[in-house]
Amino acid sequence: MRNDKAKVASDIAAQKKANTLTQHFQYPPGTAAFEGLANCRSCQLLSDVNVGNCPRCNDTLYLRSPNSIQRTLALIITAILLYIPANIYPIMNTVLFNDKTASTIVGGVVLFVESGSYFIAAVIFAASVLIPIAKMLIILWLCYATSRQSHLSRPELSRLYRATEFIGKWSMIDIFVVAILVALVHITGIMVVEPGTAAQAFAGVVILTMIAAHQFDARLIWDKQKNNE
Amino acid sequence: METQSKIACHDCDCLIMLPEMQINQTLVCPSCSSKQFTTYNRPLDYSISYGLSSLILLVMANSFPFLSFDVQGQIRTITLIQASNDLFIQDFVFLAVLVYIFVLLLPMAYLSLLLILLIPIKFGLKSFFAVSIGRLIGYFRPWIMAEVFIVGVLIALIKVIDLADIIVGFSFWAYIGFAILFTLTANISNRHQLWYWIDRAKR
Ligand SMILES: [Zn+2]
Ligand SMILES: [Zn+2]
Repeated sequence: MRNDKAKVASDIAAQKKANTLTQHFQYPPGTAAFEGLANCRSCQLLSDVNVGNCPRCNDTLYLRSPNSIQRTLALIITAILLYIPANIYPIMNTVLFNDKTASTIVGGVVLFVESGSYFIAAVIFAASVLIPIAKMLIILWLCYATSRQSHLSRPELSRLYRATEFIGKWSMIDIFVVAILVALVHITGIMVVEPGTAAQAFAGVVILTMIAAHQFDARLIWDKQKNNE
Repeated sequence: METQSKIACHDCDCLIMLPEMQINQTLVCPSCSSKQFTTYNRPLDYSISYGLSSLILLVMANSFPFLSFDVQGQIRTITLIQASNDLFIQDFVFLAVLVYIFVLLLPMAYLSLLLILLIPIKFGLKSFFAVSIGRLIGYFRPWIMAEVFIVGVLIALIKVIDLADIIVGFSFWAYIGFAILFTLTANISNRHQLWYWIDRAKR
């Protein structure tokens, strides 16, 4: 990493030139991008961005993920659309002595509330309703906040992003519940659980929001906001 | 290759000079306070032993009954793979593949690849495809949902506990053991540590 000073200086000059030419972000001082160093996405080695590919793992080097916001938005909008069928259609059907009951995601929560299992109701409600909606809204908002002045400070936005990234996969709980019930509760003629259409749609929502959170380049929060101050 | 003297925070791109770190210390970004990595005691030995135990438990979790469901003497016993397989039979292919990948395939691939990478390094031998394995492992990690699956199973059990007698099989406990050891393995062989080893293997 101990490149000679002259080289670093020329890199900074090249970077500044590139910025003035293409009207791109001005990277804040103290960041790797400011010095023309790219943080490898795969192995976190810092290298001169002009090298093109990481000398350690050969992944492509970028100062910031290209078109991060556009790709995140496309994925989130798809997820929001898919969330509609996920709530309209039943997530599973219970067949009790040839008597078929369909239950939606919200229906499942209501069932637990009615039977007095408030804790489980809260867990499923959080995993299947609260987290996906909150996640999609937060990511939308983060995309917006990187282009506008936001009410929240940079550390707060950054914390929000980390929370959505961490919590994403926990929304799969309901899918696994369905998978286990379908396999386990299968005594023909007495009690059978069948998967519902909403389960596929909901799994799609979870996957799409997870990919969207991965695609979002959290460093953009810090780039833009520092400029505005 | 030189050892890294500084890294950039993955969340805010702040340059961080790598300090001298003691065991069980976590490096936190001074600018955005996001966790970078934690150092562990004898990471190579623990990664290999936890990883191997975890893999063995995962194989065992696939070889015994997972759960049994008993309604008026009619018993239904399932294995772990049926969580995915029965969805497949009902033509929910997308769902079946997802469950299979997140619960079984990726953890299995992650642990096998990690061991293929680390065991030669431990014995000072040449490690093949070290760089490709390092990158693959990084891609797999966010999609492994063992702990989420366990919570899902527990909630499913609570849903049916009034309807029938539930017998918890050996596989269930094996899977929980696997999940705990997997989390430990993945934490110890974190990205920073992993690429340090890969650098060493290439030398
Ligand atoms: Zn790299
Ligand atoms: Zn940071």
